[in-house]
Amino acid sequence: MTMNVADARSSEPRISTTGKTDKPASDREMLVLRGQGLAKSFGATKALRDFSFDLRSGEVHTIQGENGSGKSTLVKVLAGVHTPDSGTIEIDGHLLKQMSSPFQSLQNGIGTVFQEVLVVGPQSVLQNVWLGSDGLFKVRYGHEERVAKATAVLNDLLGLVPDLEAPVETLSLSDRQACSIARALLRDPAVLILDEATSALDVATRDRLFDILRTRAERGKSVLFISHRMDEVTEISDRVTVMRLGETVGTLNRAEATPARLVQLMTGSDVSSEPRKRAATKSKTQRVLLEARSIALLPGRQPINLTVQAGEMIGLAGLEGHGQEALLRALGGGVTSSGEIMMHSQGNTAVVRNETEASKHGIAYVPRERKTEALFLPLSVLDNFALPTLKQDTKGGLLWPAQSRKRFFDLAKRLGIRYNDADAPVSTLSGGNQQKIVMARWLAADPKVLLLNDPTRGVDAHTKQDLYHLLQELTDIGLAVIMISSEVDEHLALMDRVLVMRDQEIFRELNRSEMSRTSIVSAFFGKVEQ
Amino acid sequence: MGSVETIRSQLQIWFRSSVFAVLLTVFLLLITAFLNPWILAPASWAILLGTFAPFAIAAMASTPAIVSGGGGIDISIGPLMALIGIVFVKVLLPNGLGAPWFSIPIMLAMGTAVGMFNGIVIAQFRYPPVITTMSVNFVLTGISLAVAPIPIAAIPNWTSQLAHWIGPIPGSLLTIGLPVLIWVGLKKTAFNRTLFAVGADDATAFSAGIDVVRTRIVAYGLGGLFAGIGAIALTALLQSADATQGGQYTLLAIAAVALGGTTLNGGRGTLRGAVFGAAAIFLLQDVLTALDVPSTWLRSAYGAALLAGVIVGARAIMRRSGSSEAHG
Repeated sequence: MTMNVADARSSEPRISTTGKTDKPASDREMLVLRGQGLAKSFGATKALRDFSFDLRSGEVHTIQGENGSGKSTLVKVLAGVHTPDSGTIEIDGHLLKQMSSPFQSLQNGIGTVFQEVLVVGPQSVLQNVWLGSDGLFKVRYGHEERVAKATAVLNDLLGLVPDLEAPVETLSLSDRQACSIARALLRDPAVLILDEATSALDVATRDRLFDILRTRAERGKSVLFISHRMDEVTEISDRVTVMRLGETVGTLNRAEATPARLVQLMTGSDVSSEPRKRAATKSKTQRVLLEARSIALLPGRQPINLTVQAGEMIGLAGLEGHGQEALLRALGGGVTSSGEIMMHSQGNTAVVRNETEASKHGIAYVPRERKTEALFLPLSVLDNFALPTLKQDTKGGLLWPAQSRKRFFDLAKRLGIRYNDADAPVSTLSGGNQQKIVMARWLAADPKVLLLNDPTRGVDAHTKQDLYHLLQELTDIGLAVIMISSEVDEHLALMDRVLVMRDQEIFRELNRSEMSRTSIVSAFFGKVEQ
Repeated sequence: MGSVETIRSQLQIWFRSSVFAVLLTVFLLLITAFLNPWILAPASWAILLGTFAPFAIAAMASTPAIVSGGGGIDISIGPLMALIGIVFVKVLLPNGLGAPWFSIPIMLAMGTAVGMFNGIVIAQFRYPPVITTMSVNFVLTGISLAVAPIPIAAIPNWTSQLAHWIGPIPGSLLTIGLPVLIWVGLKKTAFNRTLFAVGADDATAFSAGIDVVRTRIVAYGLGGLFAGIGAIALTALLQSADATQGGQYTLLAIAAVALGGTTLNGGRGTLRGAVFGAAAIFLLQDVLTALDVPSTWLRSAYGAALLAGVIVGARAIMRRSGSSEAHG
């Protein structure tokens, strides 16, 4: 099918093959891909609501959006991993009836490289580059052709060709990702989708990839590019489409796509007003609880110094994977490259060396994946609450279940946990109430510092409000809360300070007066704006 | 110089995965020869190989499902061999349908069909391989018992040659050789590398456009086809319809595969390893018997062999992940 497309195109006069002229988008002949009204839900979560865009022949088209704006879902729909619930995809003016597997997507001329480095470790470089090109039994390319083409593509990408017979797992991460990019390039797809595929590449390889993309563009081949790096976006894109909450916000030409404008579109800050910020914290005791002294999350990164006062609420923000979770875990006694964590209480200072010591000194870490990391799903609501603090319910070495029950009822009332039967499995509760159980468990241990890893993710609005109130109450009585949130509005509404992380370092610290949607999101992308 | 290097590295690769089983086999062969010098006489080879063949083929039949990954395993191989043998002895032979040109295709087709059924349930409908093939194991055993409630001797037929000499060669080399030949033939197609890619990393294979479901169905079908060949070898040995035979191969075959260096996680393994793993277990039994070890201890010895195989396999995996971390 790809071949027919190319033939049809070469037989007609071409006005532009680069897509960089100002030819109007209404010219259907130039479009290679067009998506309209694409929607995809996972259970109650609407990952993609209403997304429309078009991709011209020979252009590099970037999709940008914050975490959770639906980019990954869009890519998986186009790659055939997910089938959209509604909406249409047209390729060269033909409506696609079905695209339910990566195989079909490839047949339709769409090649995708994902953020995760997808290689088959024990198999050779050559085999990895050609993976999926054969039929189940049929060998489509001879050995000489395989070697020649793989050599050419890898040479373009890496500058030198690795041993084609070496197992791909012996290569560096960047070279492994180059192999999966080479796999897509070999098929010369009309549309190449790079879903944050550059994040694993070293700079030299990335630059060579961009050269390859430009050469491809001259031949009328298009790229759908997804990257969180603003410099990459402005360097290579012809147009940028911005997504927010699963919908198209708008498409900008290269000249219009300034970082400021993009951030504005991503956050929608020109549409609605800033959310109300939390009431000023009651008179601070100025008592330092937790202190991080020059901890480096990775060797060679700027060390992080942080003092956390009683009653303070600190937000950790940033694009996913930039070190927020590592920092939070480090504060809870997790592994760091260097530095130390100190806990101050009642005039004593203790060094926190590991998770056990952290918990002993009153630092509670509440993980994000409550189902896998925090809850025992088949066990009862009560057991899930009481297990880590059972010691409080023993007398003379024997367990007094009535005591656990009493403790639970008290906290459940305070947290507004809704449940029918404390002895029913915890899996019968809603996501928000499960999250409250996890919180209740830690609160029962009477912590001084609460480390929360995105506690409101996947939680309904009402429960969110409950949690906000609870956090307010807790900080009022002197707890310190440090919390990762992927929602900018949450930071604005709750935090005394927001630390924006970038590349495993604190890129910017924003106090209450500096905080705004624009200043936070700009910092995500490495820009300092007020 | 280059070619010497190539040959050496090829030998190393050839040897590495199944080296443990190969060394164990040689070692046990020497002990057996010392205890039972008669096995050195070529005249006894056909009998010895005839006894070994059903087990070796059961191990080879277990290999594709394991290599296909995703927790793949087929524990219905033994009863499948038994049932196909019973159908031959009790249905085909008495009705005059026992001629090789007619009965061989039927037996192979039966094996392939049951294997593909397992594959469809596991890959298409995503049922756990252990549960699926265990259930099929019970179903097949039940049918065997219904068809042949008591062992019945077969009327004289062509299979008996396969447990003896055919001209100058032991007949069981044909039954052991056929799966090897099919496997080598598949290496000329794309299937072999597709299977290993799916087994090693199904998500990557899927994203590269490989049909993971069909690959796995074919893998289980291939195991079933080998089980059909194993049924012929089993009938050659037993010359009877016996529902109680075959089942004992099921777990021993898996042990042989693990001992031969095939990881139960999928994506790595060899058919050669399965044969040598089976040979090691087979000889182990001979040695233990020759040493007058009570039969009660035989099982413990098998268990120890499986344990050793799993440990060797796990170490291979640890080495792999260790090296990739070092490079990551």
